[in-house]
Amino acid sequence: MYQALFVNTWPWWAGGILIGLLVPAFYYFHNTALGVSTGYGNLVKIISRSKLPWLQGETFADTWGWRVFFIGGMVLGAFVAGRLRGGPVLTGEMTLFTEVLNWPFLGYAIYFFSGGLFLGLGARIAGGCTSGHSIHGIANLHKSSIIVTIIFLIFGAIAAAFLRSYLLGGGGL
Amino acid sequence: MTRKLCFLAFGFYFGFVLSRVGASDYSVIHRMFTAEDLHLAWVILTAIIVANLGMRYLKAKGNLGRDGKPIEIKQKTLGRFSVLGAAIFGIGWGMAGACPGTVLAQIGEGKILALFTLSGMLVGTYLYGYLLAHWPAIKG
Repeated sequence: MYQALFVNTWPWWAGGILIGLLVPAFYYFHNTALGVSTGYGNLVKIISRSKLPWLQGETFADTWGWRVFFIGGMVLGAFVAGRLRGGPVLTGEMTLFTEVLNWPFLGYAIYFFSGGLFLGLGARIAGGCTSGHSIHGIANLHKSSIIVTIIFLIFGAIAAAFLRSYLLGGGGL
Repeated sequence: MTRKLCFLAFGFYFGFVLSRVGASDYSVIHRMFTAEDLHLAWVILTAIIVANLGMRYLKAKGNLGRDGKPIEIKQKTLGRFSVLGAAIFGIGWGMAGACPGTVLAQIGEGKILALFTLSGMLVGTYLYGYLLAHWPAIKG
């Protein structure tokens, strides 16, 4: 029982159902849309104390708004999941990526930083990320979210195919 | 404050589930994009269907929130460059093997490299704010 709940990866349907319920729960309890990436604006405002006009707008009026708590909760939840599963508290691993590539730490750091840069900039120009657009938006049948999600997936697949061809090696993985 | 603690609880739940269902595993994300393992694609699709059914249920019940006020669905719109933004995001998703939600789960699990993904995301978010001040057309 413990093994099935806390160690083995859950079946897709269990995760899908539990994640999907967040969308109506957000509306029912707080009349707001599920979304993670907007909260990175709050984090930037907190860390940089930036005077950028965008961060002075209505969305970020409450610097320590609910999005910061939501983000903090996510880290805590995954921390507990990781502890219950067992294994190291800190790890330099990133499964497939670090198993195949034997790069110096700085190389990994630059690579993941670059990926993050694309994610941060792209999410804001796209108007949302996987949770806001792909789950919340499509569930509410927003055309914009359907278009944006298709583009997410196409370019994610292009990036993965490119990685597989030039870095992570073809086949056998 | 109660409201914020509720979001902390929601976040805890989300991060826990993302981690348990393997959404924070680089390999799982990579193999979704190469179509070798659609586990995560099924997770997302199931989440969409359940979210849609949940919203229908709320609507059938009079579309009211817990406080008795009508629920207003936040309409997602397209900016002029949103498709370009989505392409940039997609490349980042495929590269980093994380999205803005799952990177937080990776950090919680103790994956040190995810801290660099997060740092990149913060700089990318700042960059958006900076560019927006000079070039309002990129508004998402």
